[in-house]
Amino acid sequence: MKAFEYASAHSTDSARELVANNGAYLAGGNDLLGLLKEYLVSADLLVNIKSLPGLDKIEPGHKTWTIGALATVAQIEHDPEIKKVFPGLQEAAAEVASQQIRNVATVGGNLAQHSRCWYFRHRDTVCLKKNGDLCYARNGENRYHSLFTGNPCISPVVSSLATTFAALDATAIVLRDGKESRLNMAGLYHRAWENPLAHNSLNPGDLILRVEIPTARSRSTYMQVSDKHAFDWALVSCAAAAEVDGGRLKSPRVALGSISPVPHQVEAANQFLDGKILDDATATQAADLILKDAKPLEHNAYKVPLAHALIRRALLKLKGAA
Amino acid sequence: MSNWPTETKYISHSTARIDAPAKLTGNARYSSDIQAEGWLYGMIYRSKWPSAKIKSVNLDKALQVPGIKAAVVVRDGEFNVRYYGDEIAAVAGVSKQACLDALRLIEVQADVKHEFVVKENDARKDGSPQVWDGAANTVAPHVRENGTVDAAFGECAAVIEGFYTTPVQIHHPMETHGNTVSWTDDGVTAWSSTQGISSVRDGLAGSLQLDHSKVRVITEYMGGGFGAKFGAGAEGVLAAKLSKAAKAPVRLMLTRFDQALAVGNRPSSFQKIKMGALADGTLHAFEGENYGTAGIGAGGDSGGGGGGADIPMPYLYKVPNSRVKQSAVAVNAGSARAFRAPGNPPASFGMESAMDDLAVKLGMDPLELRQKNDPNPVRQREYALGAEKFGWKEKYKKPGSSPGVVKTGIGCASAAWPAGGGSRRTQGEAQINPDGSVEFRLGVQDIGTGTRTVIAVIAAELLGLKPDQITVKVGDTHYPPGPGSGGSTTCASISPTVFDICTKALQQLQTQTGLADARGDNWFAACKKLGVDPLVVHGQWQQGLSSDHAGGVQFAEVEVDTETGLVTVKKVVAVHDCGLIINCVTLESQINGGVIGGIGYALYEERVMDDLSGVVLNPNFETYKMPGIADVPDIEVILVNMPERGVIGIGEPATVPTAGAIANAVANAIGVRVPSLPITPAKVLAALGKVPPPVNS
Repeated sequence: MKAFEYASAHSTDSARELVANNGAYLAGGNDLLGLLKEYLVSADLLVNIKSLPGLDKIEPGHKTWTIGALATVAQIEHDPEIKKVFPGLQEAAAEVASQQIRNVATVGGNLAQHSRCWYFRHRDTVCLKKNGDLCYARNGENRYHSLFTGNPCISPVVSSLATTFAALDATAIVLRDGKESRLNMAGLYHRAWENPLAHNSLNPGDLILRVEIPTARSRSTYMQVSDKHAFDWALVSCAAAAEVDGGRLKSPRVALGSISPVPHQVEAANQFLDGKILDDATATQAADLILKDAKPLEHNAYKVPLAHALIRRALLKLKGAA
Repeated sequence: MSNWPTETKYISHSTARIDAPAKLTGNARYSSDIQAEGWLYGMIYRSKWPSAKIKSVNLDKALQVPGIKAAVVVRDGEFNVRYYGDEIAAVAGVSKQACLDALRLIEVQADVKHEFVVKENDARKDGSPQVWDGAANTVAPHVRENGTVDAAFGECAAVIEGFYTTPVQIHHPMETHGNTVSWTDDGVTAWSSTQGISSVRDGLAGSLQLDHSKVRVITEYMGGGFGAKFGAGAEGVLAAKLSKAAKAPVRLMLTRFDQALAVGNRPSSFQKIKMGALADGTLHAFEGENYGTAGIGAGGDSGGGGGGADIPMPYLYKVPNSRVKQSAVAVNAGSARAFRAPGNPPASFGMESAMDDLAVKLGMDPLELRQKNDPNPVRQREYALGAEKFGWKEKYKKPGSSPGVVKTGIGCASAAWPAGGGSRRTQGEAQINPDGSVEFRLGVQDIGTGTRTVIAVIAAELLGLKPDQITVKVGDTHYPPGPGSGGSTTCASISPTVFDICTKALQQLQTQTGLADARGDNWFAACKKLGVDPLVVHGQWQQGLSSDHAGGVQFAEVEVDTETGLVTVKKVVAVHDCGLIINCVTLESQINGGVIGGIGYALYEERVMDDLSGVVLNPNFETYKMPGIADVPDIEVILVNMPERGVIGIGEPATVPTAGAIANAVANAIGVRVPSLPITPAKVLAALGKVPPPVNS
């Protein structure tokens, strides 16, 4: 990798100041160090933000829980209260990479992580996402790529936490231009939908501070299928969350990962499910709605039936937990 | 073969690896751990083009990087590169980062050829870009025919046709290829990660034009070879040249990225099989047409060479009428090398899949079809033994009849490995000291299978000592010459050699000390009588203590989720024979490793090439997927001990049948065949007819 300087920030203000001159925030480092080693990003200064006070807390609340951006994925995985209040979030955390990685990976880093597209990650291909002329994956090896996109790049979002946060209707609080901005998951990723050069909507210098999760949905679940049984990216992931009242779904939300540059959510499906008593037919109809506009390519069409199965299973699991 | 003792204390029992403490404490020095005094890092600059003529290489800027001590080009003048990753130059410097910086400053003038081909089926087309100028990528298949095939198909009660494919599998031992090489006026010392210290010594001497006596190769411990680490390799020769130029030892271990490109691989196979049987299940006619790629090492003038794409067909079954056509296809990708049981895992997958498909057509139990057509008496025992342990009869259901969304299935497949015998050139010596300590020295290397322990077990048995009383030295060309660890031959090479050394040592002790039997309780008294001079005894491989041809049968049970396509292997029963078993625990370990490797081949591993850029898209363990602990089922190893056959190796047969057994279990579960490895969720869903067509965008 290119030589860089290193500094520790002790306040968010100093972190932002330090990062302004071609710096990069360093927390768990899992993604950043890989990108630096492959010369995929360059930074003159790594700003260690692990010492920022108060950002590693998981704080329960009556209506809203707050998870600091520096909380580790393992903290979420092993928090017994999270398991009760947001079971889907615990399940998603437990699927992230390996235990060793979860021990250092942070919530902020998981949300901000870059594309895993193997063309983007290859040191010697200059794809659209790297300012090149074309998306190699579109007519190439696209087994791991998106079924939905708003731009020529088909690299999907792979953050399992983002998928689950979307289903839980969580909000990321981002320090932007000295102010706190509130972005839901659609907002946090929408730029990746439009712009092949983006993998999320963060501007240079933006710092994710925390995530707020409403407790309105007491049922939630997350499931993924990968080629392997552990330590592998999801081929498709699916999270669902809702309140269940008298057998009827209230405020249900479904989100999928690894099939779109953004957590894939279809408002019409959420509305369709609202107030419904779940059965196989309802779950199937919802899955049909969610996948209606899928545009499978040569090697990723299997994701359609796979996503369909996961949506049905996730929804029925919400019901089953009654 | 009866010279081996029949009543044994250690042979055919279990002795923990004598070097386990060294390995577990980190005291074992692997080749990649070596830090010779004043050593430098070495790194290779590789082609970024799949095909190009290199006109010139300018190393000036690289040499100016602080800390860089040497830079060399792989050869003088103009030369061609034929795949992404082909070696062009190398640098040595005081830090890894200095080398990385220097690599980025190497300037190459090249005529880049934009016409190249990386996929087998494209390379076979008329008008395909040629990997080797002026030579077709593939030549007319060679044909082997027995009996009257066309007529025989007409006599069959059932005939199946299938197209079974296997991918290129990359060599990814835990320790990458590489070495530390020190070249001084006195000669060359290479600490190599190799499975053949002698072949590396000879290869380096040849490449560097030195006397064999001027080259010493040392391999104390190494992290796996699997057939790809017999030669010095480009990394050996380049490290030597760098060492000479820098006047310092150079450690050049490949990166995992390098490893995916240029150290060899198992060729792919595309097997079109037509097979028929008589009504009673007797195989009667076989027609097989196979092609695969060994990368640039096929078609035309093969400069890369090594590892052919041919596979044994119709593998281990007896078919009276058969026609086999095989051809290799060149593509712009790294060449093949021997890979644990070369040719056999793809052959087993294709033929065993066809066997099960035929059993379905015949309405026969696939195990019975095998028992009917396998001519090998040892495997006949193994079918019966394995079926009993596995519970085949109770578990077997008609294909696809398992209820529910997650279906279970079982399958079996077999292995035949023609080699596994000993190398006649193997020599060794023992030094017996007056204090009773004893050291065995053999110029063999431990590829990781427990070679030291095998030597200690046999010596302890024959000398009446304990294995931990035997000091074993291997992995140095200064010791008497030993075999390469390939073809499953190591155990059958060294065991008779150690037997010979021990026999001679006991005779010599008797002569020198007058004690009738120096073994066991008499050992220390006998040694004391040696006086001040140790006794050094030389021995060599002897006939009659080893043989070859090992087999095996494996049974697999799987679960297949028919909605997600995920395959989970629940159980593998592996029944194997290898003659006289020396040490059960290390043998079981080798079979476990073979099965796990086979699971990777069945479900996960595949080199993915990109048409447009020509690169390997998965040069890392993120996307070149290998089984992890969560993917490994309960593996039950059943050993068939056959002392009457003498010692035979096991390394290769253990990995041969796993993929075929798993593939058959998947087909048995879901009622349709997934004819292509690896069996991914995508392919399972496709086989089940659940995948919609792509949308043209």
